[in-house]
Amino acid sequence: MLEVVDPGPLASVQDVLGRRDARRHGVPFGGAADPWSARLANRLVGNPEGAALIEVVAGDARFVLEADAIVAVTGGLVATIDGVPLPPSTGRRLAAGAQLRLGSGVGLRGYLAVSGGIDVEPVLGSRATDLRTGFGGHDGRALRAGDRLRIGAAGAANAGRWLGAWPARPIRITNGPQADPDLLRALTATTWTVAPAVDRTGVRLAGGSAPGGGEVPSQGLLPGAIQVPPDGAPILMLADCPVTGGYRVPACVIGADIGSVAQLRPGDPVELVEVRDDEARGAWLRIESSLAEVEPLGAAGDDGPGWAGAHH
Amino acid sequence: MIRPFGERGLLVELDDAEGAQRLDTVLRRDPPRGVLGTVPGLASLLVELDPAAHPAAAEAAINAAIASGAEADVPAPRTRVIPVVYGGEHGPDLADVAALAGLTEDEVIALHASTVVRVRFLGFAPGFAYIGDLPEALRVPRLATPRTRTPAGSVAIADAMTGIYPAALPGGWRVIGRTPVDLFDARRDPPAYLAPGDEVRFVAIGVDAWDGHRGPPADW
Repeated sequence: MLEVVDPGPLASVQDVLGRRDARRHGVPFGGAADPWSARLANRLVGNPEGAALIEVVAGDARFVLEADAIVAVTGGLVATIDGVPLPPSTGRRLAAGAQLRLGSGVGLRGYLAVSGGIDVEPVLGSRATDLRTGFGGHDGRALRAGDRLRIGAAGAANAGRWLGAWPARPIRITNGPQADPDLLRALTATTWTVAPAVDRTGVRLAGGSAPGGGEVPSQGLLPGAIQVPPDGAPILMLADCPVTGGYRVPACVIGADIGSVAQLRPGDPVELVEVRDDEARGAWLRIESSLAEVEPLGAAGDDGPGWAGAHH
Repeated sequence: MIRPFGERGLLVELDDAEGAQRLDTVLRRDPPRGVLGTVPGLASLLVELDPAAHPAAAEAAINAAIASGAEADVPAPRTRVIPVVYGGEHGPDLADVAALAGLTEDEVIALHASTVVRVRFLGFAPGFAYIGDLPEALRVPRLATPRTRTPAGSVAIADAMTGIYPAALPGGWRVIGRTPVDLFDARRDPPAYLAPGDEVRFVAIGVDAWDGHRGPPADW
């Protein structure tokens, strides 16, 4: 069991499987807003990439295990175990009773994976929580202090370490269905600021106006789509975006950079740069192969040679 | 016309929702390599691609599907009957709709309940179906200021479309009535009562019949 001591502002059970086939029923794709960090966290504890884990927004969140397990924290938050920093992108054995804390770091969201995964029933093909409609995950809702989550059987789990790096900003975009040279120029020529309201639906940008936004006949959406409403303030869609939308989509964030969008915090500056489709596919393949380079640290999750100092 | 949707998708523009459903039927029956999924829209089909695959093969398969899809044997539409308590506390905008349309409230109800309409696509929220087209006489604009909460089951109209809120949600459509039936349940298969292509018939019921219709419809 994993006990939620304090969920912070918002913590929920998520995965990266997506409710692909349920989209025709109006169900959002859903799942981890930063799927790259979620996949990495699972790899670091020896889980399949699609195992359920906890998405924590903004910290300060605290958890305690009732039995030893390997844990890893990835994404934009930093972690400590009983006050001792957990090195980034590193799986580590967490002893029963020790307190794991996720606090603010360089981004908005952190991912806590536990070897064996969070054991909740899949709904419509995914264990992710749909917070808006209220199904999936843990009772279809955000985690609360005192919640106890069952952990799946881990087998012979190995902790791992990742020395890779996420793509640097600016955020790369490529053509959407309503690509328009003027609109694309306005998107890439403006230094935007993340507007105050940020949620799992999307990130609204402020600080400029992209002319030529407006309505279109409702069309399918994917996370990463950039919708531009008539007011010219772009919205970068995330995992819980509605399956269809009625605003122009001149561009989409490339798949490799969706994690960067999910890590944006209110007030952060945002620059967008246009790339070709083949560059976008190349960037995706580079992250995929980089994720495969998780180094095993041994069954106990002992300190690797490079991390001994960080632990003491 | 096939347009890029980033490197991870293609938006296939079609004449109408029926065209999107036909292509969707063909692609789902025999998914081309590199196609991960589809999302029907009002006059388009979004085809999600495997980002590791080059889209040329999928695009060729989609073009072939469009060519063959004209003859696709789309299953005959199901008929879905939705009982509605019109007006009163359940339809707070009925009087305004009547005034905007230059009709009496009874005429609005009669028009809404006598027109056979079809589910074009789902979106906005789980189980929310865009249903149309409404007759010209019933087309009214959205509310100037959307409600922050529209009760579950609210039957609403905006422009050429009518829809039913499956859950309590914010909304800008004008609410003319409310149905007691459930429309979405994540635990059911399929999770939504309405699907693209369904023929929908609204039937006026009295408030006293509300409890008898509550819950999931028998033909879900």
